[in-house]
Amino acid sequence: MAVSIGGSSEYNSDINVTPMVDVMLVLLIIFMIVTPLLQQGVSVNLPRDVISADQDSDIAKDTSVIIAIPDNSNFYIGKEQYPIDALGEVIKRRMEGKTPDKRIVYIKSGVDVDYGRVVQAIETIRKQDIDKIGLVADRKKGAEQPAS
Amino acid sequence: MGMSTGGGDGGAKPTINVTPLIDVLLVLLIIFMIVTPLKPSRFEAKVPAEPKDEQQVNVKPNPLTLVVAISKETKGITLNNEAFGDVTDTEKLANRLRDIFKERENNGVFREGTNEVEKTIFLKSPKSVRYGDVVKVIDAAKAVGASPIGLQIDDLTE
Repeated sequence: MAVSIGGSSEYNSDINVTPMVDVMLVLLIIFMIVTPLLQQGVSVNLPRDVISADQDSDIAKDTSVIIAIPDNSNFYIGKEQYPIDALGEVIKRRMEGKTPDKRIVYIKSGVDVDYGRVVQAIETIRKQDIDKIGLVADRKKGAEQPAS
Repeated sequence: MGMSTGGGDGGAKPTINVTPLIDVLLVLLIIFMIVTPLKPSRFEAKVPAEPKDEQQVNVKPNPLTLVVAISKETKGITLNNEAFGDVTDTEKLANRLRDIFKERENNGVFREGTNEVEKTIFLKSPKSVRYGDVVKVIDAAKAVGASPIGLQIDDLTE
């Protein structure tokens, strides 16, 4: 260690980056872990680039009921697959105790699914006295909310 | 290889060059931050209640009803039985709906018992149509202000 003598001591002008890198790494790891967890349920090829769908943060909530129809043969709620006859019971159970304005069932259907399959799901939903359906779709990036 | 003891003042400093590392980390961080909060969105659609036999007696046909139908073979769109383009080109339908809604706004055509302009549309599609096409039509209708959107569920053709 050089002992500084007199006023000629050299100051180290480097930024100490180590703590910054630490923080970044931690943030990075947090995001990497959280991102896959955010996607619930099965993956569905949603209709993309629609213009006028309304944003609804309730879709991401755990309590909302989302029926996923990835292809023509299966219905999923969350990650569980259900036959069409069992759907009604599950919806009924999960809708219990919800206020009327929250009684909405979301449908995430793939673009190549026949409309008839979606209709089947809606029919089941309707039998539970629910008349509001949310058709989930991906908004086009930057599309403005239409003035209503 | 003798270990240098003492007098080693002038040796190279063993610092890692962290700048590229930070660059890469920042970029990754930004990518994840952008991807994470993608908010989901949805179309709200209404479904008519299940038909009950006694209901059918006293239903008055509403002259303001707009029914958008998709044909199975041609994928053509009709609005109250008039053809307006097809599912690949929803512009015609959108223009027509926009005109109708504008006219209704100017003339003050309200939904029965309210002071909202009647902008209800019903959508009827055969069961074999791709869901993606149906959503396209919903999107076009919603974009020009149609609301609520009703999906016909009963008596659909294959």
